Amino acid sequence: MYWVSVVTEAGVFAILALGLDMVWGWCGDFDLAFYGYLALGSYMTFVLSIGKPTAPVRYIIGWHLPVPLSIVIADLTVVCLAAVIGAIALRNLREIYFAVTTLGAVYALYLIVENYTPLFDGFNGVYGLVNPGQAALRLTYNGYRIVFLGVVFVLLFATYLLVQRLSRSPFGRMLRSVREDERAASAYGRAVFWAKYRAYLVGAALAGLAGGLFAIFISAFNPSAWTPQELLVIYAAILVGGRGNPRGVIVGVFVVYIGFIELTRFLPSPASRPEFGPAFRQILIGLMIILMLRFRPEGIFRERPGAGATARSGIRRLRPTRPLGAELAAGPGRPASEPTPAADEGSTR
Amino acid sequence: MSTFLVSVGIGLATAAILSLSAVAFTLEYAVSRVANFAHGEFLTIGAYAAYSGQTLFHQSVPAAALIAAAAGMLAALVLNAALIQQFRGRSAITIFIATLGASLILQNILVIAYGAANVSYTFAQGGLHHIGPFLWTTSNIEVIFSALAVAGLIYLLLQRTRFGKAIRAVSQDRALAQVSGIPAGRIVMQTWALAGAISGFAGFVLADTIGTFSPTLGFGFLLLTITATVAGGIGRPYATFGGALIVGLATEIAGAYTSSAYQQVYAFLLLVLLMLFRPNGVFVGRNATAVRA
Repeated sequence: MYWVSVVTEAGVFAILALGLDMVWGWCGDFDLAFYGYLALGSYMTFVLSIGKPTAPVRYIIGWHLPVPLSIVIADLTVVCLAAVIGAIALRNLREIYFAVTTLGAVYALYLIVENYTPLFDGFNGVYGLVNPGQAALRLTYNGYRIVFLGVVFVLLFATYLLVQRLSRSPFGRMLRSVREDERAASAYGRAVFWAKYRAYLVGAALAGLAGGLFAIFISAFNPSAWTPQELLVIYAAILVGGRGNPRGVIVGVFVVYIGFIELTRFLPSPASRPEFGPAFRQILIGLMIILMLRFRPEGIFRERPGAGATARSGIRRLRPTRPLGAELAAGPGRPASEPTPAADEGSTR
Repeated sequence: MSTFLVSVGIGLATAAILSLSAVAFTLEYAVSRVANFAHGEFLTIGAYAAYSGQTLFHQSVPAAALIAAAAGMLAALVLNAALIQQFRGRSAITIFIATLGASLILQNILVIAYGAANVSYTFAQGGLHHIGPFLWTTSNIEVIFSALAVAGLIYLLLQRTRFGKAIRAVSQDRALAQVSGIPAGRIVMQTWALAGAISGFAGFVLADTIGTFSPTLGFGFLLLTITATVAGGIGRPYATFGGALIVGLATEIAGAYTSSAYQQVYAFLLLVLLMLFRPNGVFVGRNATAVRA
């Protein structure tokens, strides 16, 4: 059962990572607000499905909707929030300004949720979503958890197919062209803001979906469960897996989550210092981000040139062209100089 | 009315600390073109160094302040050598993400070393003083005067010394400064040392003013610092003091009428407004390009 829980969590975060990668990997915008979208999706799923609050507990809405419907509505809420933040942050702000604005947004959201109790009961948070539908499905606790793992994996696979399809579509290629050279893309008539904005909303919707699943996974949610810095783990995972490559991103999440949880489980964590283990894990994540950026910014699986645009038609795309006669010019026995990498490999900028 | 004046007084004290932190942040940016996310950790390191030093030096405030500045300087030198220099030539956002990683590392090293719980100094805060309409503690007054002193020193340093002239040259065009015979690498290193020392000191006075602090002290202050820097115009040391004044007063006054827990929310709103309407700072015309110091 321990493994079921670890793998489920990794699956949920893989959905979040796929959404985040659309924004960072495809569009090149370093967003720090995504953990806020996951959190809002989680909170909304709770308040839509667990019913009215009792006396000291306070939160908004308090409906008794079926959980899948709650997740859908929660996700719509998340998209609305992302629409506001994206409209502000994506229009003119780029790079560091964009990152700082989204960080400010998630920080503001965090403080409001933590301090304004009528919203989601402040620091105590919301709880009470224990295995929804377990009785109706006539499952044991463990059986339910395994079924839930299956649901998460089906959704992850569906997300992967969607993302892969988008990635190969003209939309995906347009986003990459915008990432590589915004001015050139807009000179060729691409509506840069709308392209980025649409990708941002799709990404946020995936984050909201991950939030809804996360609500079922942990069955209680409060501000200590989501500091904005948690997002760095996802970034580390994307960096390890390979930015802009959906398959790589999923592998990266599983490697980082399972690898780290397993690695840090065997660390000495004295009872008097419970913070030692988590702190050590954070240090490793920081180190991993820096080392990956420094030595292998494209990750284990690099983004494929053309992002597999031709794979669907079954024609293997030709390798990047080598100038005709380059071998001859280089002289016998000496390899020709490497061709310049295709434009969309320059994702390391 | 008195709520207003008291919050203006506290706002001035906050602005003083903020100006120290923001001027250091902007100096780092000016010479290395790096938005240093680990800047907050320099403050935290300074605060904890003073915490370690306070028993050693018999509660002497000047000694603690010096230790804080030295620790901040050391942290900045290490970060510059171990990280910023390694990433030279990479894009601004890559370096930014790397400093985010560094921030995570430094913050959690402090958690391991000192624990995640709040600690506090045992210095006497001094009594309350009514000065004009304001209500300040002795340490508030010391903070405000020390910020003014640092501002004066930085002005003199940048305008009247060879080192200051070199900083300005490197911040305008590093390559050109280099070919003109300015040892750019050394100037950058010294600027980071200076910025680190200011940050460490700022961390000490911040921790002393708040009362209790934890390893997230500097990280929590970073958003305010960045807002103040943007308000002044990033990379422009003198204007940063003005930016700090605006941000310090605005967040404290707004916080006084609602709840101080929302200060960062106001800082964020201010930041958004600034970025949308005055991305080069409030002291240059709307469409003018920022002139860097």
